[in-house]
Amino acid sequence: MGDALLCVRGLKVGFPTVDGVVKASNAVDLTIQAGETLALLGETGSGKTVLGMAILRLLQPNTRIEGEILYRGRDLLSLPQEEMQKIRGREIAVVLQNSGTSLNPVLRVGDQIAEAITLHRGLKGAEAEAAAVELLERVRIADPARMAREYPHRFSGGMRERALIALALACSPSFLIADEPTRGLDAVTKHEILALFSEINRGRSVLFITHDIEAAATLATRVAVMYAGEIVEIGPVDAVLSSPAHPYTRGLLESLPARGMRPIPGSAPSLIAPPSGCRFFPRCPCSVGRCETEHPGLVPVGPGHCARCMLYD
Amino acid sequence: MPGRNAALYLSLGVVLVYCAVALFAPVIAPFDPFVISGPPLAPPDAAHLLGTNDLAQDIFSRLIWGTRATLILGFLGAVVSVVMGTTVGIVAGYYGGRIDEAVMRFLDVMMTIPFFPLLLVLTIFLRPGIYVTAVIMGLLGGLGSVRIIRSQVLSLAVADFVVGTKALGARDGYIMARHILPNVLPLVGVKFVTSAQHFMLVGIGLGFLGMGDPNVVDWGQMIERASKNGGIVLGLWWWLIPPGLAVTGISLALAWFAYACEERINPRFQVMRV
Repeated sequence: MGDALLCVRGLKVGFPTVDGVVKASNAVDLTIQAGETLALLGETGSGKTVLGMAILRLLQPNTRIEGEILYRGRDLLSLPQEEMQKIRGREIAVVLQNSGTSLNPVLRVGDQIAEAITLHRGLKGAEAEAAAVELLERVRIADPARMAREYPHRFSGGMRERALIALALACSPSFLIADEPTRGLDAVTKHEILALFSEINRGRSVLFITHDIEAAATLATRVAVMYAGEIVEIGPVDAVLSSPAHPYTRGLLESLPARGMRPIPGSAPSLIAPPSGCRFFPRCPCSVGRCETEHPGLVPVGPGHCARCMLYD
Repeated sequence: MPGRNAALYLSLGVVLVYCAVALFAPVIAPFDPFVISGPPLAPPDAAHLLGTNDLAQDIFSRLIWGTRATLILGFLGAVVSVVMGTTVGIVAGYYGGRIDEAVMRFLDVMMTIPFFPLLLVLTIFLRPGIYVTAVIMGLLGGLGSVRIIRSQVLSLAVADFVVGTKALGARDGYIMARHILPNVLPLVGVKFVTSAQHFMLVGIGLGFLGMGDPNVVDWGQMIERASKNGGIVLGLWWWLIPPGLAVTGISLALAWFAYACEERINPRFQVMRV
């Protein structure tokens, strides 16, 4: 084990609603080493984004959060607001999903990037602007000096994604959360963005949130698979993708077009009243009797490879 | 489109002419508006372009000086109204929760009280000068703007780019000033122009009802004087009609300007320019 940069312990996130509390994250434990890229895989609604937003404390104020998020040994959840503002952007930055709406439509793209630079690096005016153009060039936007003066609506989907990446890189954060950066992009643009990420994740820790297994395989050193607010399998990318231990991970891989495109039967459970015992058992092809009543823990199945399943208990 | 642009520039031109007249009133007006300048109730002639009133004051000079009062009432009222509406609206909409709830319930109570009668009662009791009147009008009239701005900010406050800016480590005040304000600014601008028009008319109404500041000349008080002291009965059109026309002119120009601005600003009206 190297140096843990970020350590999430027993993270529980609940959103109170009129129908009850939505348990979007249930006792998540996760460690991210300095310099590694961890892919967080899972389908929509499995709690991936919530985990990312919880790290930056950007969830709605009425959200119930329990547990610990240690960043360089400091618990982010108990940090005062001003300290948190110093960490956001400078230490931990995020590339939000929905690149179409994540840039302010009434401000020039260059100004928005310069803003991040001004906030943390203290550069002003022309200096900040020059730094913004440099960042746009680094994410390979053609004619960066001209595009910096354009408004977001003049940017294509791929360019907006690049601009958001430039925004996140503005203060050279040591930890980057990328929330589905390849979503809604065509295959060519997607590969360009992935190539860009494999360049910027050098010497930097990245939490790469995605539902794209191929993207995870390209970039990540380790993979964590989330299902219904829990991590069901975590391990080195080769081990998890070549010999998946959890039935859900196997199902995910088999649902890929290249591997037979067999969907997982059923649909994701309600997070207000999740199934008792193992959360995957109603859809699981290998469930046994005690899956219904006992909640499995994460058990080791190989070197650095754990799965949350009764089969290995 | 030339038609729309013409309306925009023409109305803006008219407003600017009124502003210039108000600014240079002492130069333009041939007489002091309060002094006896000739025989009373004189018809227009070369010295008195619009004749004189029952107190032998020059009506043309009073008309010119009255521009000041009307513009002050309108624009000062609009500034107060828009600043108050924007600030409170942004804060309430951005923070939401208890702050928003408190502001909205207060507004609910205030908005059940009709604006003009409340203003009348306040002017009767406080006997304010023209500036205080403008501020009171602005505060009362701005209550509606709070609601409009707040409803816009509600959706902006949870917009992805606001979350993104928070993720960059920006403070709330910074986000409100730099990211939310520019997004509501077009609305604020249009609201400013329509409020100015509204407050000018309200100011005229106050003057006509005898609630105007007696130390200044305003068109409302001129119309009141003309109607009560014989202008209508004697058919002295040069006494009654000019202030009325002056009001109509500025009011139309402002309304036109507001519509033209709205068309420019509202993307639904806009033609794509590539």
